[in-house]
Amino acid sequence: MTRQTLLSTCLLLSLAGLTQATAWPAYQDDDEHATAAVEHPPHTRAPGEIDVSITADDWVRAPGEDWFETMAEQFPDRFSYSEEAAEYTDEDGVGEGDFEGGWIDAKGEYVFRYDIEEDEFAYWQKISAKRLTSGRTLFVQYCASCHGFTGDGYGRSAQHLRPPPRSFHQSNFKFTHVIAGNLPSDDALTELILNGLDGTPMYPWALQDNQVRDIVQYIKTLSPPERGWRDVYAEIADVVDIGEDPFANDPAAGAERGAEVYHLRGCYNCHPGYLSPDEIAGIAGNPPRDDFTYPKIVPDSGYEVLGYAVSILPPDFTWHTIRRGKTASDIAHTVAAGIGGAGMPQWKGSISDEEIWAMGHYVRSLIDDYHGQPAKRAAFMATLRN
Amino acid sequence: MSPLSRLFSPFVSAVAACRARWLATPAALLLFSAAVSAQEVTKRWGPTEPVSTYGHRFDSLFNLITLLISVSFFIVLILLLVPVIRDRAKPGKRASFDHGNSLHDKRFTAIVSVIVFIVLDALVLVIAMRDLREGFWNDPLPNDPEVVRVEVLGQQWSWNFRLAGTDGEFGTPDDIITINELTIPVDRPIDMNLTSKDVIHSFFLPDMRVKRDANPGAVNEMWFESMATGSFAILCAELCGFAHYQMHGEVHVLSEADYDAWEAEASRLALLGYDENDAEAQWAWAWQE
Ligand code: HEC
Ligand code: HEC
Repeated sequence: MTRQTLLSTCLLLSLAGLTQATAWPAYQDDDEHATAAVEHPPHTRAPGEIDVSITADDWVRAPGEDWFETMAEQFPDRFSYSEEAAEYTDEDGVGEGDFEGGWIDAKGEYVFRYDIEEDEFAYWQKISAKRLTSGRTLFVQYCASCHGFTGDGYGRSAQHLRPPPRSFHQSNFKFTHVIAGNLPSDDALTELILNGLDGTPMYPWALQDNQVRDIVQYIKTLSPPERGWRDVYAEIADVVDIGEDPFANDPAAGAERGAEVYHLRGCYNCHPGYLSPDEIAGIAGNPPRDDFTYPKIVPDSGYEVLGYAVSILPPDFTWHTIRRGKTASDIAHTVAAGIGGAGMPQWKGSISDEEIWAMGHYVRSLIDDYHGQPAKRAAFMATLRN
Repeated sequence: MSPLSRLFSPFVSAVAACRARWLATPAALLLFSAAVSAQEVTKRWGPTEPVSTYGHRFDSLFNLITLLISVSFFIVLILLLVPVIRDRAKPGKRASFDHGNSLHDKRFTAIVSVIVFIVLDALVLVIAMRDLREGFWNDPLPNDPEVVRVEVLGQQWSWNFRLAGTDGEFGTPDDIITINELTIPVDRPIDMNLTSKDVIHSFFLPDMRVKRDANPGAVNEMWFESMATGSFAILCAELCGFAHYQMHGEVHVLSEADYDAWEAEASRLALLGYDENDAEAQWAWAWQE
């Protein structure tokens, strides 16, 4: 073979390869595919230019006396009780010399203040501009796509999402394990953000401690005037206290007891029932609704999206992924605290802590036994449905 | 000397050079350990077994490319090392520079480039196009009753899935909507429409060997067919923001019977959870073939 033939064969072969390679299938040129657009409703909150710097300190509500008592034990030099912590002033700002006893923070971060208009004393917390700027920066980076750049819960990625991201203007929370109607403490919020909510795009956020702290402080300042953390009457509570788990050593016994309590307390009115109709009638005194093996939608939600109160289907524990139910303790705390605004009542106080724990174990056992195993679950549900 | 033997003369000298025992032993050790660790590495960090019907095409092409470039890498390495060792300065001999400007060098370079182009690029391109045409671009027919259709809506930082439910129509109350979890049947073609709410995402099923961008404002398509039941990863393969790394999910492939039961139940539950007044929650689009 001469050099010339070798060369030209190579060239020819490569040209052949190229023509073969560039023979694109017909539909690649079909421009209907390239341009077909999806109609989305207009965004109410397009980001535009985002300013993250905050120049002024801000004031939000602080927790009550109990919290200061525990803090004073930890930092005796910083917190002290004074008979003259807060001073009445009249409308002209002139002190009337009448004092109310309360806690004093030597650093001046927390103050006890009198609100003239509402005629109410309350503790307030100062959040520095520096911390707010850091909190807002992180919020814009991690949270704003869903929770909105102003915290109204309607970020660009929030449209169509069910459950909708929380609006921090409403200052209503579902899963912080704080008795429904109260504001969650910083610790409760931090726990929630680090844990995330399963089955939603609200992930466990793997942020550093100081980052979460800054975000939490920033979120509090998103409350509109006289609502949430700016409301003088707001109660800030810690995670509901339901004591030690009485079934820690025997979860199976807890689950068994829980099956009884669950059906006795009528959870199957919204969630499905998981015993036969006769068994439920035996426990609860009357037979369950006809379609008791399916959940029933609860329309009285306190969570609004663009002015519309959304409804969330109560989960079927053997089918749906529940939000904050990784352990029996998590579930027991959710049940005890209730899900404010979502129709799920608070149970702490109406029934014993032991019953609440039992239900935690029962719901957890339902999840462990059937969730994510459609065939096994179908067989189980079939035994209840005929 | 013929051009061919000239071409190969460096290899001959390379082998000759290897006769020096001080070079041969470490070289053999190196090659051996490279082969062993390559196997270990693929087992631990390499791709999983392909699960989709066309997944093996991807793997064989990948392996072919790896083989070709490994071979050419070693050829180049030898071509470089042999002269460096053979012609290095020795007592009584100085190393000399040579820019290789002779006609012979130019021809040699030209021939090698063309061969490399054919063996590597053109070959790979031709095989890739064949595989695309017979695999990825070979979508199921629009009216194939076997096809399961899925609408995929990417967002920061989740995958929203919509299955048509038992009535087979999108945008109806019984549509099954899930987040980050997709349930599909085995051995049936899965046809997908992909788009995004906010930024560009890329829907990636590594076990199915398939990946396609989800772009805001346009609908992309892709299809695959799983040959095995089980749970497999869903990833986002396009950097889409601070929590891109969190944007992953799972595809559950069920047997035909399990899937039918699952679909019936999921559809029924979707119907129960459907709120007709909640217009903002609706996001189905007209299916794009
Ligand atoms: C991809 C969307 C998304 C992102 C990003 C996101 N969230 Fe959420 N978030 C949600 C959704 C959805 C819910 C509501 C879940 C529910 O109600 O079941 C939620 C709920 C919450 C709640 C309320 C929980 C409760 O008990 O009511 C808090 C607090 C919260 N998110 C904080 C954050 C913070 C802080 C960040 C940023 C680090 C963040 N979220 C990022 C989607 C998101
Ligand atoms: C009035 C209707 C109603 C009743 C009665 C009710 N629930 Fe719920 N429950 C709901 C709704 C609605 C949700 C879903 C809230 C959400 O995800 O936004 C829910 C959610 C839950 C969750 C999931 C929490 C999570 O982390 O996602 C658990 C656990 C639960 N309920 C347990 C119970 C138990 C136990 C009882 C009986 C003591 C009960 N529920 C009674 C309506 C109800």
